[in-house]
Amino acid sequence: MNSNPLLWKFLLIGAVIAGAIFAGYPPEDKINLGLDLQGGLHILYKVDTASAVKFEMDNRVTSFGQALKKEGLAGTPVPDVAAGTIELRGTDPARETEIKKLIDDYVGRWDSEKTGPGSWRFTIPSRYRAEIEREAVTSSIETMRNRIDALGVSEPVIAKQGRSGDRILVQLPGVQDSAKLRDILKEPALLRWKEMTYPPGSNAYQPQPTREAVAALFGGVIPDDTELFEQERIGPDGAAASIWWPLKRVTTVAGKDLRNVYRSADEWQDPVVAFDLHPEAASRFESATRANVGKIMAIVLNDKVISAPVIESVIRNSGIIRGQFTIETADELVLKLRSGAIPAEISVEEEWAVGPSLGRDSVKAGVTAMLVSFAGVMLFMLVYYRLSGINAVIALVLNVLLVFGILAALPWLFSGARATLTLPGIAGLILTIGMAVDSNVLIFERIREELAQGKTLASAVEQGFGKALSTILDCNVTTLVAAFFLFSYGTGPVKGFAVTLTIGLLASLFTAVFVSRQLFELVLRVRSDAETLSI
Amino acid sequence: MFRIIRNANFDFMRHRKVLLAVSLVLVLVSAGVLFGVGLNKGIEFTGGTQLQYKFAEKPDVGAIRQSLTDAGLSGQQVTTIGDADANEVVIRLASAGDTDADENQAKAALAALAKQFGVEGDGSSDLNVIDSSSLAGRLAGVAGGAVQAQALADAILEKRTEIAIFSSFDELGAVTGMTEAVLGVLQDDMTIGPFSQRKRSYVGPAVGRELINKTLAAVVGSLIGMLLYIWIRFQLQWGFAAVVALTHDALITLGLFALFKQEMSLAVVAAFLTLVGYSVNDTVVVFDRIRENLRNRGSESVKDTINRSINQTLSRTLITSGLTWIVVLALFVFGGAPLKPFAFVLSVGVVVGTYSSIFVASPFLVLWSEFLAKRRGSTATKVPVRGNAG
Repeated sequence: MNSNPLLWKFLLIGAVIAGAIFAGYPPEDKINLGLDLQGGLHILYKVDTASAVKFEMDNRVTSFGQALKKEGLAGTPVPDVAAGTIELRGTDPARETEIKKLIDDYVGRWDSEKTGPGSWRFTIPSRYRAEIEREAVTSSIETMRNRIDALGVSEPVIAKQGRSGDRILVQLPGVQDSAKLRDILKEPALLRWKEMTYPPGSNAYQPQPTREAVAALFGGVIPDDTELFEQERIGPDGAAASIWWPLKRVTTVAGKDLRNVYRSADEWQDPVVAFDLHPEAASRFESATRANVGKIMAIVLNDKVISAPVIESVIRNSGIIRGQFTIETADELVLKLRSGAIPAEISVEEEWAVGPSLGRDSVKAGVTAMLVSFAGVMLFMLVYYRLSGINAVIALVLNVLLVFGILAALPWLFSGARATLTLPGIAGLILTIGMAVDSNVLIFERIREELAQGKTLASAVEQGFGKALSTILDCNVTTLVAAFFLFSYGTGPVKGFAVTLTIGLLASLFTAVFVSRQLFELVLRVRSDAETLSI
Repeated sequence: MFRIIRNANFDFMRHRKVLLAVSLVLVLVSAGVLFGVGLNKGIEFTGGTQLQYKFAEKPDVGAIRQSLTDAGLSGQQVTTIGDADANEVVIRLASAGDTDADENQAKAALAALAKQFGVEGDGSSDLNVIDSSSLAGRLAGVAGGAVQAQALADAILEKRTEIAIFSSFDELGAVTGMTEAVLGVLQDDMTIGPFSQRKRSYVGPAVGRELINKTLAAVVGSLIGMLLYIWIRFQLQWGFAAVVALTHDALITLGLFALFKQEMSLAVVAAFLTLVGYSVNDTVVVFDRIRENLRNRGSESVKDTINRSINQTLSRTLITSGLTWIVVLALFVFGGAPLKPFAFVLSVGVVVGTYSSIFVASPFLVLWSEFLAKRRGSTATKVPVRGNAG
């Protein structure tokens, strides 16, 4: 092998080229176009993880409270969401053993602290909180996937994003007119049945138009266990109006307790949503309705009351929801409830829809710009450095080939996924052409200088490459530092730019320094008697 | 041998004080423009909605503005985008405070446009809006089967993707599989709307603030990164000179960016960070040679050594900058409207960055060495170099 190291080096170069072609060819199969290039809908959601914790606390309080009631133990647990605590006060100190057993069952994982006889404070441990928050994001993703699958969109992306882990990215290729889809995704469909809190000394409630009016009924102070919920209604004059309901914080039955939901019709043939409950929830619903016959139990969808019926009789495992539905809105609610609840509130942070024609134009423009810059650079190198320019052009073509190959191979190596090329990624590719040729120019200029000082060809080439190398490394490091900050700063498309730029620069070290050197060596060997170099 | 410059021997450092003063003035003017004119921040930073429509005929921007104002949309901006004959309009709506209100605004804007341009119905029979399966449904009767109808619908929409908007039924004649009968049905049943949506973007109000902080962190972080790197490879003094030069480049480019009302976006921030890298890159090539020459300069003054080094690297500096400039200029001219602001930053930045390597960073090194010599009461200037007492 020592007898002909040049041969081995060219075999290595050949292997790299073959690898790049294998990884990147044909590009239309190996590299996906980003949504900004092929058209589609992109939405970034932020999951309000605090709301998931609140929801979990409410649930905990509900089941704990019901258990206490069932055992005939006095006292109700009251949550303080901001502090992450549940206060249990006023239980019978004489029955502490029984209470302790329930505490173990219902808030066993919480930190507990005795605050007085028969009173405790439970604090949610941070590890448990983090677990709930994580769970909220993953199950939200699961639910979104179910809903999107039900709509038959092809190749959707639904994935966690961002360092804080509370963003969800949804990308739907080819989707344009998306109002319905957005509605289905956007609405969390948090369905809850809640008991009414009646004003003191009263068994009737007239819905009030403002929060203040409700508070006035309670003598100015809303009880700890009660929250106000709004209902939007079309008044007799056709104008929208709000009314307010005082409802228990605790939820009797929630969307996740549903075993089945379907659209049905009531006796006037108006669309309603019918539901069956899981057995465990059914027994909870049964005892709650038994205790509240003749009273109101409101149905709350995403913090808005959709109906507030009076319980006429004990309901066990099935019922209907009336909510001034049309067939369409009833179907939509059914779809949302069926695919499971999103256990937290979710808001849209960013959304864009790119039309396919705009994407097509961007690709065309990008390709044109790339060809023009490639031709410009190539022409200059050939005119200015003559035959050595061919060397630089080979290095440049190889560079682009390598970048494509590595771009295609990287995601496949890490996650088996296909690479995605975005518009800023194309810009990065084009910029790479300009920056990769930089190394060639540095080397060629250096060789010219060495030749001007009267060095022999072989030594000029060797010195030229040797002296230029440290400059080339310094130059590339500074650009790589910038690319690093870009990568850690950017979201999707900008990251794509940083990645192509970084790959391009690293590839140029191979092509402009190593490959180009071997080409010179080859020329020197073939024309061993040559005294001049076309540079 | 073909040379841009033969045996360059310019005295770049002669007017160093004047040149630095000129650069300082330029930087101050840029800062003034930045504060006076202000940056045209895109919705990524401000939050809000941006709608881009392509019209079949040249739209009257003033009239669009008026009808949006009539619809009660305040704080809207209407501008054209792309070539003059692209007939494309961008409508930007400031955030109304929350997602639902913003969505209603966008709907109101579309309704106002529809009213202004006399669009009837909900767009379900508009050939410029309809989706593939609905169109196939309408063609099922006349195309000779569901499969054929779907193929024809896809071909029609492919044509729409190609030309962005249909302006008359004549354009449908060339579509594969089109027959007289189908064309007749389309003409009878469907309309050709006067505009179609190219892009719609929305950014929530909270996101922008976070992004501005992140941007500042990234810019400051990369500045410190550059300073550290040059400190390690050269010396602190060199690092300062490079950071002064790149701050100069970034500020002047930012000033011109504001002056030409280019839109600030995430991609533009990426361009600025790239510019920071490029500017230092260019400076480093000159520095590298200065360092090499300082190590064996004999009795030569720092000023003369630096002059010699710049002259030696001059053709390389001009060639690589020129090549990079060709590339970013091609991107600016041919790269399409979405990449224009990005390419603008680099097209300006490459020129300013090349200038500053020679006329800001290097004079700064000379002036500093002279300042230190004066303080020592000596006439011998020097610049510290790693690994060797220059």
